[in-house]
Amino acid sequence: MLAFVKCFSLKRTKHPPGYEDPHVLASETPFTVNEIEALHDLFKKLSTSIIDDGLIHKEEFLLALFRNSSMQNLFADRVFYMFDRKRNGVIEFGEFVRSLSIFHPYTPEHEKSSFMFKLYDLHGTGFIEPHELKKMVGALLSETDLELSEESIEAIVEQTMLEVDTNKDGKIDEDEWKELVAKNPSILKNMTLPYLKEVTLAFPSFVLDSEVDD
Amino acid sequence: MVVRKVGKYELGRTIGEGTFAKVKFAQNTETGESVAMKIVDRSTIIKRKMVDQIKREISIMKLVRHPCVVRLYEVLASRTKIYIILEYITGGELFDKIVRNGRLSEAEARTYFQQLIDGVDYCHSKGVYHRDLKPENLLLDSQGNLKISDFGLSALPEPGVTILKTTCGTPNYVAPEVLSHKGYNGAVADVWSCGVILYVLMAGYLPFDELDLPTLYSKIDKAEFACPSYFALGAKSLIRRILDPNPETRITIAEIRKDEWFVKDYTPVQLIDYEHVNLDDVYAAFDDPEEQKGAQEETGDTGPLTLNAFDLIILSQGLNLATLFDRGKDSMKHQTRFISHKPANVVLSSMEVVSQSMGFKTHIRNYKMRVEGLSANKTSHFSVILEVFKVAPSFLMVDIQNAAGDAEEYLKFYKTFCSKLDDIIWKPPDGSSVRNRATKPKSKRR
Repeated sequence: MLAFVKCFSLKRTKHPPGYEDPHVLASETPFTVNEIEALHDLFKKLSTSIIDDGLIHKEEFLLALFRNSSMQNLFADRVFYMFDRKRNGVIEFGEFVRSLSIFHPYTPEHEKSSFMFKLYDLHGTGFIEPHELKKMVGALLSETDLELSEESIEAIVEQTMLEVDTNKDGKIDEDEWKELVAKNPSILKNMTLPYLKEVTLAFPSFVLDSEVDD
Repeated sequence: MVVRKVGKYELGRTIGEGTFAKVKFAQNTETGESVAMKIVDRSTIIKRKMVDQIKREISIMKLVRHPCVVRLYEVLASRTKIYIILEYITGGELFDKIVRNGRLSEAEARTYFQQLIDGVDYCHSKGVYHRDLKPENLLLDSQGNLKISDFGLSALPEPGVTILKTTCGTPNYVAPEVLSHKGYNGAVADVWSCGVILYVLMAGYLPFDELDLPTLYSKIDKAEFACPSYFALGAKSLIRRILDPNPETRITIAEIRKDEWFVKDYTPVQLIDYEHVNLDDVYAAFDDPEEQKGAQEETGDTGPLTLNAFDLIILSQGLNLATLFDRGKDSMKHQTRFISHKPANVVLSSMEVVSQSMGFKTHIRNYKMRVEGLSANKTSHFSVILEVFKVAPSFLMVDIQNAAGDAEEYLKFYKTFCSKLDDIIWKPPDGSSVRNRATKPKSKRR
């Protein structure tokens, strides 16, 4: 283990901007140093798939999620935005690990819930508003090739507001969101990645071979 | 909207429904804790003279604390209904995982099998037998650990248990001695079912699967099955020892625990000590059929699950970061959805008739239908899962996933299937109906 750490610090100078010491990251997240090392392998693959600069660009993120670097997807954009904590348009290693840690099975539910709320609050107003919901439902339907009329989408949103907006102020605040999560925990299911618990064991044979979109 | 309550529990949506029992999501208003509530008709239990057995088993289940077994918290009763309060498990069915990702890796299958044996062994040691072990009763918690549900509840009148008398339900997991109506030992029969489950985890399909029941029974009776070549030798020999048609010579759990394949990477689970448990509620629920002060009745609301905007949104691939960790072992998985504005029962029965007319077997549970059969060339298994959801007041969404069989086969199936369902599949008024039904691979991974 010591030898491992030593060998690691020798290499430090070669690390790209945004790289952080696994020990520091391990102290701030549920991951062990070994797991962060394993995540670094994944990060390296993701961050060099198009531009070899050790940073995950939007196109690289889309390529990993959809096998298509020019995919248009509102939700992937939002996840990328949430991961890019410094808002400089790229995901650095530290940002990657800290953001993924929210998806760790041991991370408390309220952190997951709050991450998801911010993700859905498209305009960052502190509320999820009906027009944002409408945009998201529309985006999901077109992603899955389902076509519903404007009115039907509005009916879905209206029904959801009726269920969730308990203080009837026309928007969903974080307390109402938490109530919804308590009643229906399955809407947070995407926020837990069981893989993260065994990241060193089941390490992704994630191979981005040569299927770069052309 | 009226909030329905049973005792201190506030009832939420229905999460499962069988012929005799219904499961609802509920919240403990004192602690805020989420629970699942199984609601059973009292009269059916009393009519079937099962009170003693159920009372005994539920009492034991209240005492059982095992990380791999769904906890039973308490039992409430009204004049006509019995409410069993269970731990709420969020990770879904293990079966769905196989549907989504195909067969599991050897290591993953072994881990689940070890957890299964641990939980089953523990309950047996307390004198409770499951008698209806099948993947649908295996749930996953938020951390991906196995949780066995319905332990000790098998005597409750559920379709799965009545297979001995009727032909409904799926006998694929049931031991030969159970099928032949001889008296049987619950422990030994559970071991058989564990063997079938292990097979399914590793193969992605059933060891015994026939279109007609007599052939199925005869294959189970003789334990006529073949292991795919990719099964490890150790796994093959363990499965052969478990799927021994003779209950006398079948391997026991103690012997499984010594098996070379089983012990690899085995870490026994930590048992939780149980504090003093009060069983008054169990006795009260069953003992006094006449004078029950009512937990409030709720009226039966049936129908498919309603998906609200947030339930829909999380279906996006953009929110599915598991893709980053995908081990890429699967061939293409296909998932398709279509919209219908016909009533759910019409949609479901049309899909059932069409599937059967195409020569497939169907199983319906709640608003979920499994379609199974042999592939066109009769050499492999083919199956898809269809689930009906309500999305908008007058719209249903049907989600179709390819569970076994290759992509080409699935596309062919889907095309024929849809062409026969033309009158229930909704097409947008502008006539661009082709896109509505376009199949597309869930991910283009190889």
